[in-house]
This record gives sequence, C-alpha cells and structure tokens, in this order.
Amino acid sequence: MQRQRWTLLLILLLVAASIAIFWFKPLKLGLDLQGGSQLTIQVKTTDKVKEITPEKLEGVKTVIEGRVNALGVSEAVVQNVGNDKILVQLPGVNDPKEARAVLGGTAQLDFRQELDKPEIKVQSEVRRTELELLKQKQKQLETAGDRDAIAANQAQIDQKEKQVQELLSQLYKPTELTGQNLEGASYGPAQVGTNWTVFLRFNQQGGKQFAELTKSIAGTGRTLGIFLDNQLISAATVDAEYAATGIAGGNAEINGNFTLERAKELALQLEGGALPLPVSVEEVRTVGATLGQDSIQSSIYAGIGGLILVLIFMAVYYRLPGVIADVALIIYALLSWATFALLDVVLTLPGIAGFILSIGMAVDANVLIFERTREELREGKTLYRSVESGFYRAFSSILDGNVTTVIACLALFWLGSGLVKGFALTLGLGVAISMFTALSCTRTFLLLLVLGVPKLRQRPDLFCPNLPDATKSRAEAG
Amino acid sequence: MKLNIIKQRGLWWTISGAIILSGLIAMTISWTNPEIGAPLRPSLDFVGGTRIQLELDCSKPGNCKPIDPAAVRQVVESQGLTNSSIQVVTTKDTRQPYAVSIRTKTLDAAAQSQLEKALNEKIGVFDPKKNEINTVGPTLGQEIFTKGLLALLVSFGGILVYLTFRFQFDYAFFAFVALFHDVFITAGIFSILGLVWGVEADSLFLVALLTIIGFSVNDTVVIYDRVREVLKLHPEMHINQIVDDAVNQTLTRSINTTLTTLLTLVSIFLFGGDSLKYFSLALIIGFIAGAYSSIFIASTLLAWWRERSGRARQVVPQPQASDEA
Repeated sequence: MQRQRWTLLLILLLVAASIAIFWFKPLKLGLDLQGGSQLTIQVKTTDKVKEITPEKLEGVKTVIEGRVNALGVSEAVVQNVGNDKILVQLPGVNDPKEARAVLGGTAQLDFRQELDKPEIKVQSEVRRTELELLKQKQKQLETAGDRDAIAANQAQIDQKEKQVQELLSQLYKPTELTGQNLEGASYGPAQVGTNWTVFLRFNQQGGKQFAELTKSIAGTGRTLGIFLDNQLISAATVDAEYAATGIAGGNAEINGNFTLERAKELALQLEGGALPLPVSVEEVRTVGATLGQDSIQSSIYAGIGGLILVLIFMAVYYRLPGVIADVALIIYALLSWATFALLDVVLTLPGIAGFILSIGMAVDANVLIFERTREELREGKTLYRSVESGFYRAFSSILDGNVTTVIACLALFWLGSGLVKGFALTLGLGVAISMFTALSCTRTFLLLLVLGVPKLRQRPDLFCPNLPDATKSRAEAG
Repeated sequence: MKLNIIKQRGLWWTISGAIILSGLIAMTISWTNPEIGAPLRPSLDFVGGTRIQLELDCSKPGNCKPIDPAAVRQVVESQGLTNSSIQVVTTKDTRQPYAVSIRTKTLDAAAQSQLEKALNEKIGVFDPKKNEINTVGPTLGQEIFTKGLLALLVSFGGILVYLTFRFQFDYAFFAFVALFHDVFITAGIFSILGLVWGVEADSLFLVALLTIIGFSVNDTVVIYDRVREVLKLHPEMHINQIVDDAVNQTLTRSINTTLTTLLTLVSIFLFGGDSLKYFSLALIIGFIAGAYSSIFIASTLLAWWRERSGRARQVVPQPQASDEA
C-alpha cells in the first residue's frame, strides 16, 4: 500500500509537470504542417578538393546561413545532414524559386588581368560570338521540341564552351582580388539601357588592390576580366585618366547585361559570400500553408476519433480495469507530448502517425495484462493475486514486443531521412513511455483500488464477466 | 472459441501462398512494364523528379472550373516536358476537380517557375498557399532508397539477434519468416494497387514496412512467449498440442490488440490528411497480415519444424516417458 501511494504521488507530479510544460512550451510544427519550403543542398567535390572535411562543410554552411539571412526569411533553419549535405528550412515560404537560385550558385567572384596577347584575344572573341549563336539556336530548337537536334546542338555548345574557357585562361592572369575582398553588394538599374547592374563595395585591402589593378591597365586598351564561377561575365577597359592613381574609393560595378532577377540573385550571393565548394540543390519540398493546416487538422481529428473508439472499447470489454487503463492512456498521452516538447521534437505528419501507433502499443500492454488477469481469475485465484500475477506474467511479452519495435525505430532513426526520423523518434519515445505507464500507472491504480476498497474484492465480475460460480465464491473468500 | 491451428495448417499455408503468389505475379508484371520498371511503382522519393500539385484559387470569381487534363497536358508539353504524368485531383474542401498534380523529370528553378507561369496563364489562377511542390534529384533519390533498404535489413538483423538471444534460434527464424511474409504481402498488394490505381511506394511506405515489422514480431513474440511457458509447465506434451493451446490462450489478446490498432488506422485512412492515406492503408494491410501470420503461420511452422527435427517432445527425465515416444 505504502509503495503504491508513493508511486501515485510520483505519477501525479509528472502529470502536473506535463501540463505545465504543455502550457508554457508549445510543440514545434514541421514544415509539412505549418507550410514552407525545405531544400537539401548537396556539396560537391572538385578536382582540387577531393574530400569534404567537416571544416569544409562548416564553411559552406556559414556561407549558406549568410545567404539565407540575406533572403530575410524569419526562423529559417540551416543544418548539416550527413557528411556532405546541408538542409535549409524556410517556414512560410510558398515559392522557393528565389531561394533555390540564390542558394544553388557558388558565386566565386574573381578579377583577372588581361595579358598582351592580341591574337588570342581575337580568337576568343570569335569563339564567343559563335557560342552565342549556338545558344540562340538551342532556344529555337527547344520551342520546336526536336530532341535529337537539341542533343546534337548541346554537344556543340559544350565543345565550344571548352574552347572558350581554354582561350580565356590563356588570355587572363588571375589576381589576388576575389569575392573575399568584398564588404557588400547591391543591385540597381544600369545607367544605360534597360539592364541591371550589380554594385560592389570592397573592404580596405580590396579597395587598394582594385586601385592598383586598374592603374596597371589604364589606357592600355587591355581589359579587367570579372569572372564568376570561372565564367567571364564582364570585361571592362579603364580610361587613361586613371593611369596615375587607379580607380580609388573602393567601389565597382559589374555591367553584365543582367535581368532584374539575376542582378538581385547575384547581389544576394555576393553579399552572403562565395561558397568554397560547388553545390547543387538536390531536393526541394514545398507545402503551402493552408494545405499544411488542412492535413494537420484532419489527421489529428481522425486520430482523436479513433482513440476515443479505443477508449470506449477498453471500458466496455475490460470493465473496471479498462476504465483504469483509459486513465493511464490519457496520462500516457500527456507525458509523451510533454517529452516531445522538452526534447524539442519537431512534429511532422509522420511524427503524429508514430505517436498514434505508439498508443496502439500502450493499449496492447494493457490488453496483455488484463487477459492474463482474467485467466488467473478463471483458474480460481483471488482478485489480488490475479492482478499481481497478471502483471508479472505479461511482463516478458510486453518487454519482448517493445524491444523489437525499438530495434526497428533505432534502425529508422539511424538511417532514415528527415521525415522518417520524426516518425522513428515519436514511436520510439512513445513505446518507452508506454512501458512506464502500463507497468506503473495501471498497476498502481488497480492495486490501490483492490487493496483500498474492500467491497471491490467481492466483485470480481467487475474484472471478468461470467466467472463460474465455484471460482467466484473462492475469489470472494480470498 | 477454439481454433484447430495445427490440423488445418495446410489451409493456412495455402491462403498465404496464394496471396504471396498473386503479389509476385503483380511485381513481375510491373517490373516488365516499361512505364514502371520496378516491382512497385516508385515515387519520386526514390527515382527523382519533380511533382507539382496546384489548386485553383476559388476566392476569385469565375476562376474555379473543372480542370481539363488534356489542356494541362498541352501546357506541359509546350514546355518541352514530354513523358509527364498528369492527374486531376479533387480538392479537400470543395470535393471538386479544381486541383492538378503533375509529375515530370527533375526541373530546375527556372524551368519550374516557367511551367507554373504558363499554367497560371492558360488554366487559371492557382492559390500559392495550397500548392505542394517536391523536387528530388536522381542521386539523392537513389540514396534515400538505399538507406531505407539498409534500415529494413538492419532491423531484420537486429530482431533476429534479439530473438535468438531471448528464445532459441528456430523461434527467431520462424518469427523472421512470419515478418518476411507480412512485408511481402504488403508489398505485393501495393504492387497490385500500383498497377490498377497508380499508387506509388514512397519513403513513407518504407516507414510503414518497418512499423509492420515491429508490430508483427510483437504479435509473434506474445504467442512464442506462451509456447515457451506451456512447454515449461508441461514438458511431456506434444509440440502440436502445446502450440494449439498457446495460440488459443492468446487468441483474445491477438484479436483485441489488432482491433484497437486498426480502429485508429482505419479512421486515419478514411478521414485523415491525404499524405497519410496510403501510409495508413499499408499499415492496415500489414497489421492484418501480421496478426494472421503470428496466429497461423509462425506457430504452425514452429510445430512442424520441431516435429520434423525429432523434437516434438521435450526430453522427460522419467524413464516411463520413453514408452510414449
């Protein structure tokens, strides 16, 4: 009796604590429930960097965080997944087009100096014009939809691009001035025409280097090549008037015939910094906010409806113990939701499914115990001994069943991706908590009733209907 | 109620065999079907691609009219996206065909926004708050698939080891057969559903399979637990009798537990969110198969094996017991 009282006190405390947690710390909803976009970014190796070390990944993550902040999405989440991926979650973003374009580009900016090689310069210009023509042809082919012709033309484009790259690398010499010397970037309309321009602001060292660079080529007719991810986006000459000092002041602009979108993307990318490694956006999942709410509501209503049926079934079929099990189940639900909130489990749709299934496991434990109790009663044992041995004997089945489920959950949690992890976590935690509630709550309540209310001991029919008379009288005698 | 498990084991095995066989046939058909090319119709989770689901914005007057799939197909193909699958979907709230789901090869941001723009111009204004757009690159899809399969194998292995440790190897082995049976039946039925209604196997389907494993083993373990207990109490009894008793003593529990779990699952299947529909269906099939295999397959196989390997009775110390054998 004494022990049961203490357990009861502990249970009451836990319940009170859960309600408090519930009140002060609402559960976090996943993107599939609150609406938003999720992008998985794959970090790639290059010829120079053959392996993605944790430090490299961290570097990429920092840059991506910078760009996400530049996008201005509140409560965005950026995290590493595995050894070579980064997950970006953007709550409330229904249209991730911009995010996708901004996060996907490497944006390695560097300034190169043209060498005095007129022959190569002419060659490269011819090749570039040819390339432009091929690209225009590709657009026409795409509207026509002739697949073989598109593929053939693409092959030509690829070849031409290689030639252009080769010539450009001979023509230009890399300098020390790169995107790392930038302090910021912005965009605005170009002074001439309808295109847009990206404005660069150098830091102190960058400003100095830029001035020296422009000084060295001023008035020579040679150009300053601005390269983005190894592609020449702008080649500018510097007027002779700067031959003495270079362009000072630390500002520059790139006139690369940008559209508004491209100028904005590029400015955001440069502002966030260049990525040390190339990346690609491998997965984009978007759920509209209203859609998310619809699915959370209907799933939760359906789950609660099903659970109420289960509670009714337990009370009707198992009578008094069934009612007690119902109370224990409600406590179970409270405790697990509080645990989820405490552990910062982000609730996703599969997560809710996992939780509802774990309730199934909790019910099963009770069913096992009560069936066992009934068997003992039918064999003519007293109520108290039946209840005790019901728990005792059902224990190994409950343990084995739960351990195997936990094994499956561990495998899922260890190997699964985002959604799968949420499911494994709620189911696994639920199973663990259900062991506690079935074995301690149900048991304590039942024993307190059996021991504390003497009249109950004369009513074994509250536990099991249709007991044969002989066993009934023996049970009463006990 | 008392079931004659052992006597009618031929019947139980035939039923299972027939279902598994029809699943196998469906898998073969869908594997040879060039449109599917796999035993189950894979979702873009595993093979990569883009799926765009859009719903018309009904707050704008005259905007909502039933969507014509042919018109959508025309728009999609004008973007150079041949081989796309297009499905008109009824919306959740109005139950009218005002939504469309398009699955194509993996689209980049530009191609995707171009397609959306074209659809908004030609079909009607779509509500951005109700859209669902998923893009999975082919390599990532492959990775999700291998990892999911690995999770399946690891949990198979883990359960086998645990049961060998808690029971004996032959118990563990037949529990394993039973759960393989359940996974196979579920996969087979989904293969049929994929052929008939285009139901896809996604990463949630893999989750469902893993959950089925957990629950099915749970069912089997409860019965084996009882077999072990009866065996301890009556070591002289024939294994057939022991298994029959154990199954019947735990029958109410097996039925009640399956029933209570199915109550919630069926209500999620009928009334829950769309994304959980086939997930709950997979679980319903798997749990029914799990209860069936625990009661009728795992038990009879164990009895059959023990009888065949000459361990129908535990060795009884009294010499007179050998007269019986």
